[in-house]
Amino acid sequence: MKLSQGIRMAWGSVRAHPMRTLLTVLGILIGVAAVTVMVSIGQGSTKQVQSQLQSLGTNLVSVNILGRGVTTSLTERQVEELTNLEGIAAYAPSISGSATAKYGTATSDASLEATTSSFAEIRNYKVAQGRFLLDIDNALSQKVAVVGSTIVSDLKLASPIGEKITIQGIPFRIVGVLESKGSSAVGGDNDNKIFIPLQTARLVLKTNKIRTIYIQVADAKQIDGVVNVLKLRLTNLFRGNSDGFNVFNQQDMMDTLSSVSSTMTTMLGGIAAISLLVGGIGIMNIMLVSVTERTREIGIRKSLGAKRRDILFQFLMEAAMIGGMGGLAGIAAGAGGSALVGKLMSLPTSPSWSVMLLAFVFSLGVGLVFGIIPARRAARLNPVEALRQ
Amino acid sequence: MNGGGEPLISMSGITKTYAMAGETIYALNNISLTVHTGDFLAIVGPSGSGKSTLMNVLGCLDSPTSGTYLLDGVDVSRLSDNRLAEIRNRKIGFIFQSFQLLPRLTAVDNVELPLIYRGLSARERRALAKEALEKVGLGERMFHLPNQLSGGQQQRVAIARALAGQPPLLLADEPTGALDTKTSRDVLALLQGLNEEGHTIVLITHDPGVAEQAKRVVRITDGVLSEERSAVS
Repeated sequence: MKLSQGIRMAWGSVRAHPMRTLLTVLGILIGVAAVTVMVSIGQGSTKQVQSQLQSLGTNLVSVNILGRGVTTSLTERQVEELTNLEGIAAYAPSISGSATAKYGTATSDASLEATTSSFAEIRNYKVAQGRFLLDIDNALSQKVAVVGSTIVSDLKLASPIGEKITIQGIPFRIVGVLESKGSSAVGGDNDNKIFIPLQTARLVLKTNKIRTIYIQVADAKQIDGVVNVLKLRLTNLFRGNSDGFNVFNQQDMMDTLSSVSSTMTTMLGGIAAISLLVGGIGIMNIMLVSVTERTREIGIRKSLGAKRRDILFQFLMEAAMIGGMGGLAGIAAGAGGSALVGKLMSLPTSPSWSVMLLAFVFSLGVGLVFGIIPARRAARLNPVEALRQ
Repeated sequence: MNGGGEPLISMSGITKTYAMAGETIYALNNISLTVHTGDFLAIVGPSGSGKSTLMNVLGCLDSPTSGTYLLDGVDVSRLSDNRLAEIRNRKIGFIFQSFQLLPRLTAVDNVELPLIYRGLSARERRALAKEALEKVGLGERMFHLPNQLSGGQQQRVAIARALAGQPPLLLADEPTGALDTKTSRDVLALLQGLNEEGHTIVLITHDPGVAEQAKRVVRITDGVLSEERSAVS
């Protein structure tokens, strides 16, 4: 029997019970739609996390001194020696802390970072007005500050450039305002920040101990090499104590987060796939009913010369057709559903064609697999007994 | 079809037994039967006589426990399910008491069924089915569903279905059992006409009146076959 003939026959039977078919298709539809929506939400959040990480800076490596053991911080000179390495495009030592900024009667609690001019480029900060810190600010210990947009609004600064604010009671002149970066899951509020020259840290934060260095590697391929050399040098510096510092590779973090979110995607998809399985059981159920109801039809067909494989094929086609219809409808519902979820919950969704295709093929497969038992039962009916019905 | 000497049906020593509550029931007991091409044979017997079992064995729907059954020169007594299906498809046209039409298919689609399983193309099927329906006088009702046809018309669709594949043997199981007297007469006349055209017919019935129309009658009682009236012609 030809495929086209099989499809026509299956369509005839599927159409004969519209309500029954609709409900069975619905079972598969829900499964496929659930998988599609879940996976698109998962992939959307993966993309979001990746772009957030990317916004922290490209090819970023950071060194943190944890403060255990003999050495608990670095001096500027040590930083210079440490980062004197081929492959390092730029570095920015940073001393951070929190500080209260005041302007008139308005105050703002901000996260303060004392750093150098390279920081902006390494960490991907852009200046909206004025300028970022310059090398000369550092050399002359200029009391200048670059502030984030949250600070501007907290302090109610109408035209911030040139205004004098006090940070921990010490007057600073604002020379630049940063472009808003928004907040992210991995970086906190990026706009509630004040940057001052590294040399002024002593005044405001009462310390000149450098415990963080941000490093930009020229080429992504060199990251591993740079990280290794940094670790080696730091281990020497810390006299063999590798617990005293931490070299942090952004690529690693990206990979870790990506694997976390892809695990999440798989899990969500897997849970949704269970509903597809339930849909498959629905197909099996309805096919078993159908075989029982159509015993006489099977007997007639067999008496007219239908072989086992003809009957098997006919019932498998029906099951696959129900599965396939559910798959197609499910993809449509899933695409619509993920767009809707994306809008309502302001979640980024990323519907993926490969997942949709997979879901369709899978639902066809579910139909076939769950059709096997009923179809075998039909194919094995004894024509004499079947005709007696 | 066979010419001259070799019979279309040649059964010898056919036995069919069932085990029931530890006892062996002989549904068919050492049956020998020969039917030649062009014959019109009636098998009569009351219900429970083994008539249905004989019909199932004759129709290759069931295999005998022992004995040999040659149909059109082929030994069909020990064949696999698939081979039997093929034999049914090519050698036998069934006409059942309750018509056994598929209710969702039109007359012509029903007639095409055996041809589908023979693997013919849609065009060949349609041509043969149309021809068969015209032969039974239903050329005008090709696209009617069974429930839009009278009992007699439905049985004629079933006869057309049996004829469509041009099998050497037509096997009719109580073909008039579900019909009124007048319609029964029409259907029997149709079968007689087909026999005159050369079709071999084996008819199974409990009704002696129906059996009268056949050229030859055999009686089955408790699984044993006996000749009742030999061929006239």
